[in-house]
Amino acid sequence: MATPVIMPRQGQSVESCIITAWNKKVGDTVAEGDILFSYETDKSAFDEPAQVSGTILAILANDGDVVPCLDTVCYIGEAGEDISALVKADAPAAAAPAAEEKKEEAPAAAAAPAAAPAVATKAEGDMIRISPRAKNLALQSGVDMTKVVPTGPHGRIIERDINAALDAGFVANAAAVEAFLAGNPIVTEEEAPAAAAPAAAAPVADDVLAYTEEPMTGIRKVISRQMHASLSEMAQLTLNSSFDATAMMNFRATLKANGEAMGLGKISLNDMVLYAVSRTLLNHPTINANLVGENFRLFKHANIGMAVDTERGLLVPTIFGAEKMSLAEISAAAKGAAAKARDGKLSPDEMSGGSFTVTNLGSMGVESFTPVINPPQTAILGVCAITQRVRADGTTYPAMGLSLTFDHRAVDGAPAARFLADLCKALENFGLLLAK
Amino acid sequence: MPKSQYVDPGKVFVPGSITFTDIPSCQYKKTLAQEKKIYTKDDFLRIYRDMRIIREFETMLNDIKVKSEYNGIKYNNPGPAHLSIGQEASAVGEAYCLDINDFTFGSHRSHGEILAKGLSSIHKLDDAELYDIMKDFFGGDILKVVEGKQEKAGDVRDLAIDFLLYGALAEIFARTTGFNRGLGGSMHAFFIPFGIFPNNAIVGGAAPVALGAALYKRANHKKGIVIANSGDGATGRGPVLEALNMSAMRQITELWGMDGKYSSDGMPILFNVFNNFYGMGGQTQGETMAYDSPARLGAGFNVAQLHAERVNGYDPLAVIDATTRKKELLLAGKGPALLEVATYRISGHSPSDSSTYRTAEEIEAWKAACPIAAYRAKMVKGGIATDEEFAAIEESIVRRMEKICKLAIDDELSPRMDLDKDPAMISSLMFSNNSVKSMDPTREPEVLMPKEENPRVKQLATKARYAYDEKGAAIPKIKLFGVRDAIFESILDKFYEDPTTIAYGEDNRDWGGAFAVYRGLTEALPYHRFFNSPISESAIVGSAVGYAMAGGRAIVELMYADFIGCAGDEIFNQLSKWQSMSAGILKMPVVIRVSVGSKYGAQHSQDWTALTAHIPGLKVCFPSTPYDAKGLMNAALAGTDPVIFFESQRIYDKGEEFHKEGVPTEYYEVPFGEPDVKREGKDVTILTIGAVLYRAMDAAKILEEKYGISAEVIDTRSIVPFNYEKVLESVKKTGRIIIVGDAVDRNSVMRDMASNIAEMAFDYLDAPPVVFGSRNWITPAFELEKYFFPQADGIVDVICQKIMPIAGHVCTINESEIEHIERNKKGI
Repeated sequence: MATPVIMPRQGQSVESCIITAWNKKVGDTVAEGDILFSYETDKSAFDEPAQVSGTILAILANDGDVVPCLDTVCYIGEAGEDISALVKADAPAAAAPAAEEKKEEAPAAAAAPAAAPAVATKAEGDMIRISPRAKNLALQSGVDMTKVVPTGPHGRIIERDINAALDAGFVANAAAVEAFLAGNPIVTEEEAPAAAAPAAAAPVADDVLAYTEEPMTGIRKVISRQMHASLSEMAQLTLNSSFDATAMMNFRATLKANGEAMGLGKISLNDMVLYAVSRTLLNHPTINANLVGENFRLFKHANIGMAVDTERGLLVPTIFGAEKMSLAEISAAAKGAAAKARDGKLSPDEMSGGSFTVTNLGSMGVESFTPVINPPQTAILGVCAITQRVRADGTTYPAMGLSLTFDHRAVDGAPAARFLADLCKALENFGLLLAK
Repeated sequence: MPKSQYVDPGKVFVPGSITFTDIPSCQYKKTLAQEKKIYTKDDFLRIYRDMRIIREFETMLNDIKVKSEYNGIKYNNPGPAHLSIGQEASAVGEAYCLDINDFTFGSHRSHGEILAKGLSSIHKLDDAELYDIMKDFFGGDILKVVEGKQEKAGDVRDLAIDFLLYGALAEIFARTTGFNRGLGGSMHAFFIPFGIFPNNAIVGGAAPVALGAALYKRANHKKGIVIANSGDGATGRGPVLEALNMSAMRQITELWGMDGKYSSDGMPILFNVFNNFYGMGGQTQGETMAYDSPARLGAGFNVAQLHAERVNGYDPLAVIDATTRKKELLLAGKGPALLEVATYRISGHSPSDSSTYRTAEEIEAWKAACPIAAYRAKMVKGGIATDEEFAAIEESIVRRMEKICKLAIDDELSPRMDLDKDPAMISSLMFSNNSVKSMDPTREPEVLMPKEENPRVKQLATKARYAYDEKGAAIPKIKLFGVRDAIFESILDKFYEDPTTIAYGEDNRDWGGAFAVYRGLTEALPYHRFFNSPISESAIVGSAVGYAMAGGRAIVELMYADFIGCAGDEIFNQLSKWQSMSAGILKMPVVIRVSVGSKYGAQHSQDWTALTAHIPGLKVCFPSTPYDAKGLMNAALAGTDPVIFFESQRIYDKGEEFHKEGVPTEYYEVPFGEPDVKREGKDVTILTIGAVLYRAMDAAKILEEKYGISAEVIDTRSIVPFNYEKVLESVKKTGRIIIVGDAVDRNSVMRDMASNIAEMAFDYLDAPPVVFGSRNWITPAFELEKYFFPQADGIVDVICQKIMPIAGHVCTINESEIEHIERNKKGI
């Protein structure tokens, strides 16, 4: 009967060894004590002496093979002895790759109560628990805090909760922001810190597909959501018209020439348009309105939003009660609001409560466009460039274009056109308008 | 366990006796006539002068402490003054035969030793050497103060005495013109160019450090001897006894010669015990120690009984005679030696000592035996010199001391560090941050074979240096180049590059280290570069400190990190502090390898990174991949700062799973302080310390695959220094961070990092930084470890409970706030 020689186990933690060299080959005769092969663990090297004398009948692992401890590596017996049955039984084990350390299966532990998703809107008392990161995002994005469901530990509002509210379209109104601020006295900062500088991916040389990926800023995200909501939820269409701006331009020339001394030199064409709008709006209640659900909010004052292009994106500060302001006051308010917008110093209050919006691309030569309504308002006026037009008699005049987008859900085409016509008339007769 | 030393049962049990020889006590018997043949009149007078200088120096300090005035010079010194008035003959007698190649180390009562050694060195150096030393030291800052003010114009030795006294006093008064810029102070003053090595405020602290300097001389074939001075009280300390044993360990004479190939000389160190009979107030002779005389210790250590003897420390000539004999013995290769110099401290332990522990009669009796007065009387009586000559010497010493005192308290000439003007002055001295490939490029390293013939090197050549094959399949562990191989490769390279590099610790040679890191080093290195130390952690680390002070690079191993406690003083007070306390004069290129255990229970499984990271002056790292282990070890072995190099026994066999190019065979460094992003993610950051990295990677996988949460895993790699920038960048991105490690949670490095991250990234956080370490328990048995060490599932649980609840996740551990309040209430 042949004797199997096994790979010894050199220590509890050793699971397999590597054969470094065979001193014998199949057919060799060995005496007890002869070194059969050398092997090593990850810590030490050993020589394996033969325990019996005889002939090597089979070798099951070669130099460099990793052999699990206690597996058979060779057989010693009588020359010519048939060991095929034994070798077959061992074959799979010898051929199998070294067993890697098995990961211990953790016994199923008694399940402790899982932290259930939070449903409460607020934790104990009236204190709002919110992480600094979530708070920053909320302030930047103007999310409606009353709509945020906290899901963090201890009813804490965490970043994902703000994102969920934004995804649901819960953008703040002034009251919500105020409530939020009042409920969380810590929030006093005028401006949320700028978002972390995005890490620009290293450009790959000669790669035409190279680009840098930059996350949206908070303001961009708000604009993105609002504009998309605006176009997807409203029935918007645009009317284009123009008027003779000769009177306006003359008045402007007078201001430039003589108004300086009276402090009126800085009044712009856009200020005049705002002025005309403020005097026209209240005669068209559905244009000076918000549509919230199925209700109109018909404003008693002309709260005109003014689109301002800033480095951080489009901001729309509101000039409240413009119908009561003089042209000079409107001009000053517009300039003040624009400056604040550019400096990033507008409070959420100053950017909400608008009943109508004026946007101006005329200064950049745009002759006509389709402004997008600032929800939940019902209309927006685009101010276009002044171009020279020819009268029937062949003379030319400066014509300023106006593009009015309105929400057909709230206003029909005729009343919208009537508002536009009234506005054109007022602007064409700017001197008379001022006298009113 | 050298196989050449057969432990024979046939001999062990043979009946017989262990014999001793008599230890001589105060047997100096030379007559003045005999002494006159040895010493010239100048020698006799110089011995007097040196004793008298020390007496005056300490009298001045005592007066300033007690009366805030010395000879009309008013000054207040709030610092310590441990005086040795009465012991002057012992100090001068010891220093007499020493030169600058002989190094002395001392205790906290070493003003006398410093001055005596300095005066002896000044006498032996020629003018040009002396002047160069003074001119080169701190760019001549000290010389500038004293130059041109000496009594004997043009006398360089006279100038050097002023220099010595001023440098020491300015140091004691914490002035930037002191020998160590005022950062060492009274108990740590020293001056390397005169062979005066640091004294030590820790009783007994200097003994193992001095052993290290002797080891440096022994292993690098340097001239001179080393003297470890201590008081009798210090002989009660373990590190002193460890140093006595290790210095005499038998392998030095039995094995280090390697059959005639190398020297088999004994360790060239003299342990010199100034026995003043009191350790502070405890009387060693009759009260606190078992011995009647410290010289008796010699009998316990080796067959030569350390050549121990007691000598009369009140007779400078007896001490000179004894020290000279011991020095000859050491130079003849018969060290180590032990000398007890019996002496007495007339002054108190410190100025606040009211001597409640001894009688006035005892003090008076010793005052009456004053060694200086007795010596002077003997000289006058023997006709060596007249009393007037001695009086003149005394007078000039007082004049000199008044001058030096005035200079040292002059705020303009001797300013203190201006930390208003230069707030970084001390910061800049905490680490030397140099890169030195070889501490002695003039010599070839002594090795036993070419590197490429080393069996381990050959074996490693066959290993896979990346854990996955081309198809991405995992390669079996046993075929991988693992963490232990990476550490070995770095260290072996250094041994072939730097001739001063030595390594030792328990079971390093033959065994190859308990965890087989050093397998292959035995074949490569002679004994004096790589040996087994006794189980003496204090002596292991302390000697490494001294070895580095003397100019070499040492790698010592403590086997288990848990043994850090056994080398507490050496790591916390010696290794960490000498670079800065020396104002950057000393460098400390020492790597202490410590291994964090697993499966071995409460005293063999602790991650003690927090203990070492807490001590200013130590660099601490804990790599967990082969790439990082080799790179950090290379950086540690190129640096000149002390590094506590943590390793984990869980992962010695881990191959490189992160660095796709594999572990480079060539040299590279991983810079200290830079964490590494091991996995990128965007929702939560997992910051890991040590081997827990792999469990954090598993947790990241669970988070990703089960819950769609993308985790970023950052490996700290280093702990001190640590650059937070990468972590903060990650936290700004993810808003969430959990810090995990195997150390117990309380006061861990993780807690420190969490606090720093909270401060620096507050506005970006979506949850407080959360720590998940081990429980504040003892480490249980292996089978229970998962309840103690953080596991992958636990990491997910903690994120779910403390950072962001994960829908559908069922937690299995309780990490709630209530639970933590309860645990803290109970201190668990």
